[in-house]
Amino acid sequence: MQTTIIKPVLGVYTALFLLFLYGPFVVLGILSFQIGPNGGPQFPIIEWSTYWYQHVFGLTPPSRIAPLPIYEGLARSLSLAFMTMIVSTVLGVMSAQAFRTKFKGSDVVFYLIVLGMMVPGVLVGLGLALVANSIGIDRTWWSTAFVLHVVYTFPFAFLVMLAIFNRFDPSVEEASWSLGVSPIKTFRKVTFPLIFPGVLSAMLFAFTLSYDEFSRTLFASGRDLTLPLAIYGTFSIEIHPNIFAFGVLTTLFSFALLAVYAILMTVSLRRAKRLAIQEDA
Amino acid sequence: MTDVLRIENLGKSYGSKAALSGVSFAVADNEYVSLLGPSGSGKTVLLRLIAGFELPDAGRILFDGKDIASVPAHERGIGFVFQNFALFPHLSVYDNIGFGLVNRVNAPVTDADALRSRIMAMVELVGLTGLEDRGVHQISGGQRQRVALARTLVSQPRIVLLDEPLGALDANLRTRMRGELRRIRSQLGVTFLHVTGSETEALAMGDRIVVLDNGSVGQIDTPDTVYNSPVSPNVARYLNCYNLFSGTIGGGTFSDGAHSFPLSGTPKPNASPAYAIRQDLITVRPSNSPLGSGEAGFTATYLASEYTGASFMYFFRAVDGHIVEVENHLSHRAPQNLDVNATYQLVWKADDALVYG
Repeated sequence: MQTTIIKPVLGVYTALFLLFLYGPFVVLGILSFQIGPNGGPQFPIIEWSTYWYQHVFGLTPPSRIAPLPIYEGLARSLSLAFMTMIVSTVLGVMSAQAFRTKFKGSDVVFYLIVLGMMVPGVLVGLGLALVANSIGIDRTWWSTAFVLHVVYTFPFAFLVMLAIFNRFDPSVEEASWSLGVSPIKTFRKVTFPLIFPGVLSAMLFAFTLSYDEFSRTLFASGRDLTLPLAIYGTFSIEIHPNIFAFGVLTTLFSFALLAVYAILMTVSLRRAKRLAIQEDA
Repeated sequence: MTDVLRIENLGKSYGSKAALSGVSFAVADNEYVSLLGPSGSGKTVLLRLIAGFELPDAGRILFDGKDIASVPAHERGIGFVFQNFALFPHLSVYDNIGFGLVNRVNAPVTDADALRSRIMAMVELVGLTGLEDRGVHQISGGQRQRVALARTLVSQPRIVLLDEPLGALDANLRTRMRGELRRIRSQLGVTFLHVTGSETEALAMGDRIVVLDNGSVGQIDTPDTVYNSPVSPNVARYLNCYNLFSGTIGGGTFSDGAHSFPLSGTPKPNASPAYAIRQDLITVRPSNSPLGSGEAGFTATYLASEYTGASFMYFFRAVDGHIVEVENHLSHRAPQNLDVNATYQLVWKADDALVYG
C-alpha cells in the first residue's frame, strides 16, 4: 500500500535531483555550439556551429573577441592539483596508519582534523593571506595556495584511508613480521598493495577538490591565477560562448580522469571476482 | 631434552583486567605441546606475547636461553599460524610460501633456483603439488590451511605457534588435518605450541597439555594424566567430561547439601571442596535398586538424551536442580530405554571419583 505512493515520489525526487545536477551543464553544452563570433550566450541558438571550440584552440581568424586568458591558469591548476594530490594522499595514508592504534589524545587530534573541514574556505584564505602579509611572505599559487589546498584536501584523504584501514585485517601484517620481514618492508609488500584501491580513491578526491578550489585560492594565490579564478575573471568583462566550450572540454577531461580511475578499479576488482568464481567452480 | 622455549612468570593486563598472571612453563625441543583453555583464559594473548605482537607487563620469555621479551616480532624467528590463516590475498600460493624467504631481514634467499627448490619441497611436503600457481582464493579451506603452514615452515623456525589452526575448518577436515599436522611436525622435528579451545583436539594432538585457567597455568602433563586426574575442579570442567559438585568435606563423606558421597583416599588440595565423577563412569539403574559396597550414587530425574553416534548422552536432574550428564558408550553398553520424568538411581564406584578439598 505504502510502496505504491513512496516509489513514484522517490522516482520524481530522483529525476529532479538529476535534472538540477546536470541541467546547467546541458544548457552550457548547448550554448557552446552557438554561431560565432556574433552569437552570444542566449537562446535561441541562431545557428549550430563549432566556432567557439575552434576559438578555444586559436583556430579562428582574428576577431574582436580576444582569446581566453586562462591557459596559464589551466597549467597552474593542473600542477597544483597534482602536487596537492601527492602530498595529501601521502599525509592521509601516514596519518590514517597512525590512527590504527589508539594513542594519547588521538580522539582530540581526530576531531581537530575533521572539524577543520567545517571552517569556511573564504575565511581560511583571508586569514592565511593576512598572516603571509604580516610576516612578509609572497603569496603565490605554488606556496601559500598550495599549503591551503593540502590543508583542505588532507582530511578527505585521511577519512578515506581511515575507512579502508577500518576493514583491513592486521593479521596479514603480523604474519609477515613472524616470517622475519621488517615492518617497513611489510608495509611496502603487504599493506600497500592491499590498500591501493583506497589510495586511488584518496588521490581522486584530493585532485578534484584542489582542481576546483575557488574560495581559499581567491585570497591565497596572489597575482598568478588558477583556472577557477581565471574563469571567474573573464565573467567581469563580457561572457562569450567560448567559456562554455572551454567548460565542456574541461568537464570531458574530468570524465576521462574518472574513466581511468574506474578502469583501474574494475581491473583489480574483476581479478578478485574471477578468482572467487573459479573457487566456486 | 633441552628447553627451546621457557616462559617465566609472564603477566599481561588490559586496563585493570589481568589477562595473564604468573604464567610459567617450558617447551622442549621437538615436542608437540597443546595449550587448552576456554575462551577468555588468555591463551591467544599468551601466544601473541611469545610471537612478539604484544609486549608483556611482567616476566621473561626465554627462547634458546635468550630473553626475547623486548625483541621485535620480525627478529624472533618464531613461526605463527593464524586461525584465519592470514594468507597474503594478492599473492599466489607459490609467492605466499616464498614470501618470508625472499623478504626477511636475516639471510634472505636471493638465488632463484635455491628458492624454487625450497618452496617446491615444502609444497610437496604439505601436499599442494599442482596448486602452486593458483591464487589463495582459488583453493579450498583445507588447502589454505596447508599454505599457511607451509609459509611458516619453509623458513625452518625452531618453534611454531599455532592459534586454533583447525578452528576455521569443518569437522571432517579438522580430523584429517590433525593427522597431517602430527606427520608434518615429526617429519621436520620442529616444536609446535598449539592453542585450542577443544579438549578433544588438545588430548589428541599434544605430547603434553598445558591447561590455562583464568590467566594462569592450571595443569601441565601428558594427555592421559590430565584426562584421568585433573589437578583442580576447573581443569576437570574444561575437559568437558566430568560432573562436578561443590560442597563440604567432613567425617569421611563429601556433602553438597542434597547428597553425600563416601570418600576413598585423600582429597587433592584445592581452595574449595569439590567432587568430580567422569560422565562415562556412571551407570543408570532403577530407582529402587540399593547401592552396593564401595558404590556412591543418588536418585535423579531423567530429562533427555542426545545421540552422538558412538555414544548416548543422558541428561538427569538431581533433587537440588543440578544437571548430571551420563555418557553411555555403545561399544560396551547397550542403549537404555529410559522414561522421561521417571526417577533413576545413578551409581558409580567411589574409587573412580576425584575429590578436591
